[in-house]
Amino acid sequence: MWARNTIRKRRREAGIALLISIFVLLLISVVAIALIVSSGTESALAGNYRSSAGVYYAALSGLEEARGRLLARNPNAFKITNPTGFLPAPGTPLNIGDAYYVINPVPGETVAPWDVGTSTTYPDLEFGVEFASSGYSQPPNSSPSANSVWNRSPLNSLNVPGPLYKWVRINAVSEKSLNLDVDHDNLANSTTPLYYDGTLSRFSNSSLAGPQVLEITSLATLPNGSQKLVQYLVVPFPVALPPFLGALTLSGSPGADPVFHAPANNNGYAVKGDGWDCNGNPAGPPVSAINIYGDYPGSSSGSAVNGVVGGIRPPSTSPPRTNYTGQGGAPDVEYLNAFQTPSQLNALAQTIIQSADAVVPAGSAATQTSFMNSLNMSPSNMLTVVSNGDLDLSHWGNTGYGLLLVTGNFTMDPDNGWRGVILVIGQGKINNTDNNGSREIDGAVFVAKTNDTSGVALPDPNLEEASVIFDDIMEGTGIRYSSCWIQKAQPIDSYRVLSFHEIPQP
Amino acid sequence: MNRRQGRRQQAGFTLIELLTALGIFLIVCGAAFTLLASSQQRARTESQLLTSFQEARLALDQIVRDVNDAGYPPPSYSDGVPSHSASTPFAWYPNYTIPTPCAVGINCDPPSDFDIIIETNPNRQDPSSKVQWIRYKLDPTTSTLMRGAADKTSGGEPTVETADKLAPLVQNVVNNSSPAQIAQYQAIYPGMFPSGNPVPIFSYTCDKTSGSVTQIVSCPLAGADNIPANIRDVTVTLIVASPLPDATTGQPRLVQLVGRGRRINPNQ
Repeated sequence: MWARNTIRKRRREAGIALLISIFVLLLISVVAIALIVSSGTESALAGNYRSSAGVYYAALSGLEEARGRLLARNPNAFKITNPTGFLPAPGTPLNIGDAYYVINPVPGETVAPWDVGTSTTYPDLEFGVEFASSGYSQPPNSSPSANSVWNRSPLNSLNVPGPLYKWVRINAVSEKSLNLDVDHDNLANSTTPLYYDGTLSRFSNSSLAGPQVLEITSLATLPNGSQKLVQYLVVPFPVALPPFLGALTLSGSPGADPVFHAPANNNGYAVKGDGWDCNGNPAGPPVSAINIYGDYPGSSSGSAVNGVVGGIRPPSTSPPRTNYTGQGGAPDVEYLNAFQTPSQLNALAQTIIQSADAVVPAGSAATQTSFMNSLNMSPSNMLTVVSNGDLDLSHWGNTGYGLLLVTGNFTMDPDNGWRGVILVIGQGKINNTDNNGSREIDGAVFVAKTNDTSGVALPDPNLEEASVIFDDIMEGTGIRYSSCWIQKAQPIDSYRVLSFHEIPQP
Repeated sequence: MNRRQGRRQQAGFTLIELLTALGIFLIVCGAAFTLLASSQQRARTESQLLTSFQEARLALDQIVRDVNDAGYPPPSYSDGVPSHSASTPFAWYPNYTIPTPCAVGINCDPPSDFDIIIETNPNRQDPSSKVQWIRYKLDPTTSTLMRGAADKTSGGEPTVETADKLAPLVQNVVNNSSPAQIAQYQAIYPGMFPSGNPVPIFSYTCDKTSGSVTQIVSCPLAGADNIPANIRDVTVTLIVASPLPDATTGQPRLVQLVGRGRRINPNQ
């Protein structure tokens, strides 16, 4: 009996080693699991942060693509990429309620933001949030769309995944969509697009105040579901042109007075500084007829003024001298003590050359005028045209719209008209060879000699004499100052960001 | 006979044997439990560190998002109602109400190393929303980074309006510790506190414009352009300590996070 008990006891104790080892193993496992869990949480955190930063920059790249492609000089500008006419022609405002999409699907997926009923094609629900109170609870189905640069040649053939934004919307904004009362009439207008007055830095309901404000909205979504919606308001920002203080501005400095010779036999020729709008009606404050631009200390500008007046046939009581009207008495030739240095004006010319829509080839009048015809300029297609050298537009017989920059000699013709700005910066010379025609220039003409005859820039600070010499028998009606055409002709330097914000996602 | 002898050999353990076995068992058990206790403590400090890290990360995310949005809607949106647009991306003290800007890094407080007030409307689509002053401030007594948002009011002083709205956001932020404490941290984390100085939570770069060229430089180098409205980037550095020191070594545990927010909105 005793022996049996011992045996039984021993048998019962036999598993203690197993128990202890299981216990120790359990302990080690708990510690190991805790470590794995903690490092897992840490990498999940890092992952979240990474995708949040990644999706933010993806959305921002969508905004930047649309902002860049609005510029005409961008190699992928909407103006020159398919579909043609994706955005309304320059000068035509976008309507409230319309939406234009740049879509950026990855291979095998559909992006249709205008289809708000389908959750898999990245619907644009934000549009309704902004415009429901204006009567548009969703974007037009379907809206115009263009492919992103990542879905266009040459980037689409590279095996590089682009940023993962899905769509970018371009649209007009109104007082109501921005919750803003720009004209203080206590009414939020829901149908009038907003414009931006760059000189006063403020919004306006009037298209006369400045260019239209565009809203750009971009949605980015990562495969893991991270999503961000960011938004810009942008407005075209013009290149800063010199001030147009006269219908015709001529450069000069003491000892190098400007040269002006009017068509003496043409009683109808006029240079008028009175303001006109784009329809030829009187508007706005007048400027000088002819303004002299340069650094004349004290009263030394007298000889320059007299020299220019002397270029117009006397007597002063009858045409053509009485045709030179403006803010002062006729003939209104004034020196207003405003000037820039040759290097400043040359730098401006370079900026305009960089943002030019077209560059006129060197060559004969026939070559240059046929190139001008090919541009099809019109009030709704105003262009920045540059001639980097001489320009001869004899016998063109047409009217140009926009900004014309000539760095060499400009040979004009009274059967050519221009609506906008003509800058002759460089040699600063205008003349004519053909005398027949009856067109006029509306806007402003600015002539400045910044280079010597061999094309080397003059030393700062003095501009030398501009020279405008017309034949006595030249026809044509002359130059009319128009701030409206000047404003329309200003080349766009960039689309400036007026505001940025991230739209909180639910 | 044989059977008897066999039985005797099986007769069991002596007292000494039992005591020895028990002793060994106790030692092994004691060691195991000590190990368990210390690893539990370790797990606790690790999870505390992780919580601090997570708090700091969420806060950093929030700060960067607010800085990105700073100055929205910009002053050109102004319709005469101060609460409808931001007059500057970053509000300042003193003389905000006069208004006379101060110089960042010289006499502004905020924006300063441990205090910043962002002026923005985070939720413009809500018609009743207003521009807010969103303030981040390190409370020096509790080492807590506070966040508070107050609606922008006409003639209001941002520092006063936000003062009673501040709520704790991240605890144990040690950027501005005492020199003695920094020396202690430096011994364990060399390089975290360069030259043994406090580490600014917020450091700023400004737009410096000369002619038509705009450069981004450290604010005190921007000369006349050194004003809060010209702040471009805000680099955020958060150094956070876990509430309890390391269980085994007794030394403090720190994590450092760095992020950058960039103002995109124009300042005028």
